[in-house]
Amino acid sequence: MAQVTSVAVPGQLLGPVSEYQPGPGTHVHNSNLYASILGPVRKLNPPKPAGPQKRLTKITPAVPAALPTLSIERNISAASQDGGSKGKAEILPEVNSTVLCRVTRITPKQAQVAILVVGETVLDGEWQGLIRVQDVRATEKDKVKIFESFRPGDIVRAVVISLGDQSNYYLATASNNLGVIMATSEAGNAMYPISWKEYKDPETGASESRKVAKPF
Amino acid sequence: MTDRRRINGPSGGTLAPVYSKYITKDASTQIQRPVRSRAPNVLRKMFLKTGVTPSASGSAYLELEASKSTNTNTPGLASLSTSGLKLTCTVHGPRPLPKSAPFSPHIILSTHVKYAPFATRKRRGYLRDSSERDLGVHLETALRGVIIGDRWPKSGVEVIITILEGEEDQWWGDDRGRGHVTAGEWGMMSVLSGCITVASAAIADAGIDCVDVVSGGVAAVVKGQGKNASVLVLDPVPSEHEEILAAAIVAYLPGRDEITDLWVKGDIGNKELRSSSYEELADNAVQAALGSHRVLVAALKETADMKLGRS
Repeated sequence: MAQVTSVAVPGQLLGPVSEYQPGPGTHVHNSNLYASILGPVRKLNPPKPAGPQKRLTKITPAVPAALPTLSIERNISAASQDGGSKGKAEILPEVNSTVLCRVTRITPKQAQVAILVVGETVLDGEWQGLIRVQDVRATEKDKVKIFESFRPGDIVRAVVISLGDQSNYYLATASNNLGVIMATSEAGNAMYPISWKEYKDPETGASESRKVAKPF
Repeated sequence: MTDRRRINGPSGGTLAPVYSKYITKDASTQIQRPVRSRAPNVLRKMFLKTGVTPSASGSAYLELEASKSTNTNTPGLASLSTSGLKLTCTVHGPRPLPKSAPFSPHIILSTHVKYAPFATRKRRGYLRDSSERDLGVHLETALRGVIIGDRWPKSGVEVIITILEGEEDQWWGDDRGRGHVTAGEWGMMSVLSGCITVASAAIADAGIDCVDVVSGGVAAVVKGQGKNASVLVLDPVPSEHEEILAAAIVAYLPGRDEITDLWVKGDIGNKELRSSSYEELADNAVQAALGSHRVLVAALKETADMKLGRS
């Protein structure tokens, strides 16, 4: 559905708000839509209602037709075939985005992590994140112990719940598919998950407790 | 503050020696002040390219052509070489703020402008001096009005400009006692205008959200031919004029018709000189900014085409 029209430079007029919806990379000024980053403009038409409409059993006011969305792709080098590291645009963790992070430090109340990947994008810098003890698990929150859930060096899949304080994003693993996805044992071997709360070392046979993410 | 980490040259600056056999009284070989060959409303040719520093998130390079010396039969002295303007700009970020920084719901912009030690005829120090800090503050005001800060919470962006070749404040021949010393620092105006344009290109290259592309333009009132006559010129080169009466630089957003930074210097509105008004000066600076905006847009389109692998 997406179609490329032309390259826009910041500040370029794209069209009136009455005809288009603003997407990423655009902004609205004086009820007109303008580009705010450099890149190709994509027009995404609203999804058409699938299948034949049901017979109307009551009279409703006509739904205003959804407008096509104009957006500008941030990562414009991804469109080219080479896909090198040049031109890779930085993105930020946002609330509700899924991130991959490495545990750097644990205390009884929280686990400090470094966010490495947001969605599908690998970040340039390391952004600090924090998983508090009450955000580790959805149930029996009072029985959670951080050192039975994470260890430094683990790779964790988490979701951003808040932009947090001055330096940390607040993350949560309170869902079945969130938690530790890669862990090493105390002996230094890569482990595999054996249950929702345990990882096992294949060489020593010892098992360690973690908040395990459900494999897909 | 003095620089204690490096061995610095003499603070006053040095001149290449001019041997007496070259100083002739013959009028044809006498070294002359370069003369403005462009019409008053024509800008210097500009070269602008983005993506020059691979390690930065965004970068740009800007060059203005050097003014030509009028008599070419003078001996080739190194001190005769005229310089244009050469600027590189790198943008780093958006990246995490340091741990000590307080929470910020929008992007923190910081700008650094630095002359290379060899950028001007008078050698610059390695530490930033007051005029460089001044340029940085002006650049920051010019850019702050353009960037959509709330799209990047909790992050910082650094704009670093290195001036490889700066504009001279006056013709070097005026240094040696001949003529009176003018108010000085006129070169900073066109340097700032170049800084704004090049920073705007680098920020667009870095993919930071902007309201518009901002471009810089300079206009000046210079002393004309007759007595008490003055001429309004765009994009002045200080070394080409005997005396600059006033100059203005604007950072202009053509899409919105807004000015984010304005700096006027000099004496203007003098009845005896029948010179132009402030409004006229600022309007002409806006015209100069529109000229550089066209170059900027063309350079950005080239960048996008290159990244898309079209060309």
